[in-house]
Amino acid sequence: MFGLIGHSTSFEDAKRKASLLGFDHIADGDLDVWCTAPPQLVENVEVKSATGISIEGSYIDSCFVPEMLSRFKTARRKVLNAMELAQKKGINITALGGFTSIIFENFNLLQHKQIRNTSLEWERFTTGNTHTAWVICKQLEINAPRIGIDLKKATVAVIGATGDIGSAVCRWLINKTGISELLMVARQQEPLALLQKELDGGTITSLDEALPQADIVVWVASMPKTIEIDTDNLKKPCLMIDGGYPKNLDEKFQGENIHILKGGIVKFFNDIGWNMMELAEMQNPQREMFACFAEAMILEFEKCHTNFSWGRNNISLEKMEFIGAASLKHGFSAIGFDKQPKVLTV
Amino acid sequence: MHNEQKITDMQTLESHKKTIEESTNTNSLNLPDFTTDSYKDAYSRINAIVIEGEQEAHDNYISIATLIPNELEELTKLARMEMKHKKGFTACGRNLGVVADMEFAKKFFSKLHGNFQVALEKGNLTTCLLIQAILIEAFAISAYNVYIRVADPFAKKITEGVVKDEYLHLNYGQEWLKENLSTCKEELMEANKVNLPLIKKMLDEVAEDASVLAMDREELMEEFMIAYQDTLLEIGLDNREIARMAMAAIV
Repeated sequence: MFGLIGHSTSFEDAKRKASLLGFDHIADGDLDVWCTAPPQLVENVEVKSATGISIEGSYIDSCFVPEMLSRFKTARRKVLNAMELAQKKGINITALGGFTSIIFENFNLLQHKQIRNTSLEWERFTTGNTHTAWVICKQLEINAPRIGIDLKKATVAVIGATGDIGSAVCRWLINKTGISELLMVARQQEPLALLQKELDGGTITSLDEALPQADIVVWVASMPKTIEIDTDNLKKPCLMIDGGYPKNLDEKFQGENIHILKGGIVKFFNDIGWNMMELAEMQNPQREMFACFAEAMILEFEKCHTNFSWGRNNISLEKMEFIGAASLKHGFSAIGFDKQPKVLTV
Repeated sequence: MHNEQKITDMQTLESHKKTIEESTNTNSLNLPDFTTDSYKDAYSRINAIVIEGEQEAHDNYISIATLIPNELEELTKLARMEMKHKKGFTACGRNLGVVADMEFAKKFFSKLHGNFQVALEKGNLTTCLLIQAILIEAFAISAYNVYIRVADPFAKKITEGVVKDEYLHLNYGQEWLKENLSTCKEELMEANKVNLPLIKKMLDEVAEDASVLAMDREELMEEFMIAYQDTLLEIGLDNREIARMAMAAIV
């Protein structure tokens, strides 16, 4: 069995969904009620791979909402309780979606192995970051030419380059794509210098300097709300891949010949017959999902029951190639633009 | 906006170190000073509630046995276990030099106690099991789970042993209700509507003292809801039925 741990994009949204699902006790509750709500296993689903293999899985809503981010202890409990539920249900491999893996990583939840009478087994969980990184790279490789960008001549900026996904994307771009130049942007300089050393390439720069030079920008850090960007200074055409969470790039960049793509989203070859992605606001909810979720499915299809993506900076090119090949084999593809660039102008 | 700023910080994964420091600090700050007067004062009531709770559990299981004589042996075993727990918690108070305020505790349980007695008299086994095997057990296990994280070393060890037992006999009432669900569902729902709000009130009443012991009200409530939901799921109720039952806790 595979598992997906997700959550709503906002408190309002969560209440609406709870009402739809018949969870009236929390649908009518205020944020305090949600802070005390147990995780809910809301859906079981069977998925059939393009190879014909069938697997079963469950979707667990942690009852976390982004409004809880300022409540450190609450956020921590939501994640750990959802993980405990997944393990108690005997799920082999569960992806930590949305803020779940971010909270796990940033709040260092590795030190909280014991949850009530359950000792969490980390090998049952994956952040799904390897697949997300691979999908973002594929989205870049496939879609840049479609809007008239020649990869061999392209300058690519990765914003959030030192993160788990960001560093994997940089590694792939340098080694696998033949792009002209890689610009790496992150807040902390020390890990950036280490990454540059490891890659033996890439230029460390600031956001302000990077944006006007870049043909392609990969965002794997959400944008500070306060940031003001003059779209006139961007290159045209410009491809922006929104790989952060939540996906909010299109609020910032609107303009002629600026093409924004939701990063790290995949499409399955068949309708899945679940309701949960509708709730995650996917455009085609029967087929589209976050790549991190798909990673749990792929690992279950492959009977690869291990915490495939775990910790920081452990994503190797080999792992990306493995998960990428398996992704294609089982019927996933990265979402992208149509082949008609004009339609794409945001 | 505050939340959005927070989101941004987290998303970059670069506030990493700072957040860990914060979390570690918060953890260590969580352990209270067990020797202060205010701690002991709050402990005198919480400890009494726990002792009284175990006594009630003992008495209730003996009473339940009068309704299902076949289970006398099993229920007597359970009751004995509760008495062992009571002794353990009495030792916890003594270890801190605290005299448990038993009068307060008796009053604390009085309404639930009264409802149990009425159900017993009428022979309403389902109501008795809901009160003892679901509500009181879930209340106890949630409090113990939270307490373990902030208890003094002596009490921590005792409570860990108790929790192991509690997980065992939470199953007893569960099993009976599961087997008889088709005939007892209506009474279960009715009894829940009356008694779950009492548990909520009891949690509220104890929240201030609990917070002196570094036990967070929100965490207590969440632990309770988890134990409560687990039991009801195990009994065979579906998500919607459980949601309807849990409503009684927020009205």
